[in-house]
Amino acid sequence: MEKINIICVDDEREVLESVVHDLEYFSDMFNIEECESAFECLELLEELDAQQEYVAVLISDHVMPEKSGVELLTEVALDNRFLGTKKLLLTGLATQADTIRAINNAKLDNFLEKVWDPQELLQTVKELLTEYIVEKGIDYEVYIEKLDAPTLYRLIKC
Amino acid sequence: MKKIQLKYVLPIVIPLIILLLPITSFGIVDMTLVEQRIIAIFVMAALCWVLEPIPIYATSVLIIVLELLLISDKGLWFSKTPSPELGHLISYKTIMGTFSSPIIMLFLGGFFLAMAATKYRLDINLARVLLKPFGKNPKYVMLGLMIITAIFSMFMSNTATTAMMLSILTPVLALFASKDLGKVAFALSVPVAANIGGIGTPIGTPPNAVALKYLVDENNISFGEWMVFGVPFVIVMLFIAWLLLSTLFPSSIKEINLNIKGRFLKTPKAIIVYVTFIVTILLWLMGGLHGMNSYVVALIPVAVFSMFKIITKEDLKKISWDVLWLVSGGIALGVGLDQSGLAANAIEAIPFAEFHPLLLIVGASLLCLLMANFMSHTATANLLLPLVAALGASMHSLLPYGGEVVLILAVTFAASLGMSLPISTPPNALAYASGHVETKQMARVGGGIGIIGLLITYAMLYMLKQISFIG
Repeated sequence: MEKINIICVDDEREVLESVVHDLEYFSDMFNIEECESAFECLELLEELDAQQEYVAVLISDHVMPEKSGVELLTEVALDNRFLGTKKLLLTGLATQADTIRAINNAKLDNFLEKVWDPQELLQTVKELLTEYIVEKGIDYEVYIEKLDAPTLYRLIKC
Repeated sequence: MKKIQLKYVLPIVIPLIILLLPITSFGIVDMTLVEQRIIAIFVMAALCWVLEPIPIYATSVLIIVLELLLISDKGLWFSKTPSPELGHLISYKTIMGTFSSPIIMLFLGGFFLAMAATKYRLDINLARVLLKPFGKNPKYVMLGLMIITAIFSMFMSNTATTAMMLSILTPVLALFASKDLGKVAFALSVPVAANIGGIGTPIGTPPNAVALKYLVDENNISFGEWMVFGVPFVIVMLFIAWLLLSTLFPSSIKEINLNIKGRFLKTPKAIIVYVTFIVTILLWLMGGLHGMNSYVVALIPVAVFSMFKIITKEDLKKISWDVLWLVSGGIALGVGLDQSGLAANAIEAIPFAEFHPLLLIVGASLLCLLMANFMSHTATANLLLPLVAALGASMHSLLPYGGEVVLILAVTFAASLGMSLPISTPPNALAYASGHVETKQMARVGGGIGIIGLLITYAMLYMLKQISFIG
């Protein structure tokens, strides 16, 4: 089985824990990583890349000291090692300018507002994860019980 | 933990033991070293396909490479040391040739047709048009869905067809109340129809391709001949499956509206796809008139679609090479058993001739059905068909019942009828993933269809023999 990661980034410990808690559903088949800053996340990405692990979904808060979520996601979007990684911005404090930058530069795959609905977050991550697995050509049958069926039906061509 | 290790250990240790045993211990008269190695490779293949320590197509590649190393005329030096017991080494060209055997080319042609049809949306547009006459009554909409799924899976992969039809169904399934059994019927109807539909043509599903390898010379069955019995079988089975599903899981919804967007493409390329599709199928069906066999015809769409950039360089990479290799490995296994002389020798050593031929037909097809429920249909066919073909050829008592063709077809059909569990086939896994079906419900329907399907297979083969179509 391939090692597939879901990374959550937020500078507030409680928020981070609550995101991870909402994604508990994936934890037996996928690796859920927690980062408290953008720098920590970039470091982790290096490590995961060196281990040849997949980074399927990156969930980030926007307003963080030193480096913002949009800056982090933009950097990841431009890094060809993480081509295809699904990027989700989870924030309540993004200005319109931030949002525009997030869409244009960070090529967001999804945008959720704080406070989020746990069901919605779970469903969104499920869809993004399914897209990633099919697009990367990873054998989906192993993970099928955790994936989103309609997304699979839409994407499977052979 | 222990179980995981066993799955890696057994496929290595058991074949090694077989290789190291003294040659006299097999109880086969005049057995050669080459034959002993074939047995070891066969056992390894069986263990690998059942336990799946490596992907099933990798097992196929491994078979071919091991055959090249151990029993080919250009193999490892020590494997060729002359001795009276060595036996007949097989030409490396024959073994490598299994990668491009005519059967593989037939499938490649089928892949090109399916890919072009999907790319130019012929499949989804046909589905939209063909579904219209079935109205809005859930019972008849389901019948329509099943017929269309079956027709498509005769030419496309069962998995791709299932994914497409389930994506059409998704919005409809969401409308059902959570307790409504109707959605179970709908979610199951698609994989069931796809599995059944694959039986209809030689290219419908890989086990059929494996069977073609053994249906040669006087037993040869052309594309059209296969459809003459395959399609009626599919029709009967679909009808039974439909009755079964609509009685077991009645729907409480009164009306169903399938909404499929899009319109037929009319660009020059799309028209080339339509014409090539129709012409290829007609050429396949009229095998006797133009002198080309189905293998030669299969390469026509490959050339046409490549020429007009309908299948581009990028599309070419998306061809299911794993399926082609999986079948190649099965063919190579058959070649090894056959050309080394092992098949003929071993059958003589085992007193099968004393069995009643009907017992053999029923036993072999039941075993095949059972295996196909738990492992890949193609791997099942790869393992059983070479054995069954060798048995059939040597058993004269089988002749009054139609000879080896009957045995081969019974086992081939049984391979496609294994569909009682989510793991039985990829279409089943996809339907199960929808969350609308319980394993128990799938087992009831799939198991029922498996058994009924076998009985109908026997009846069909009996009739074919009566009208001297086979045998």
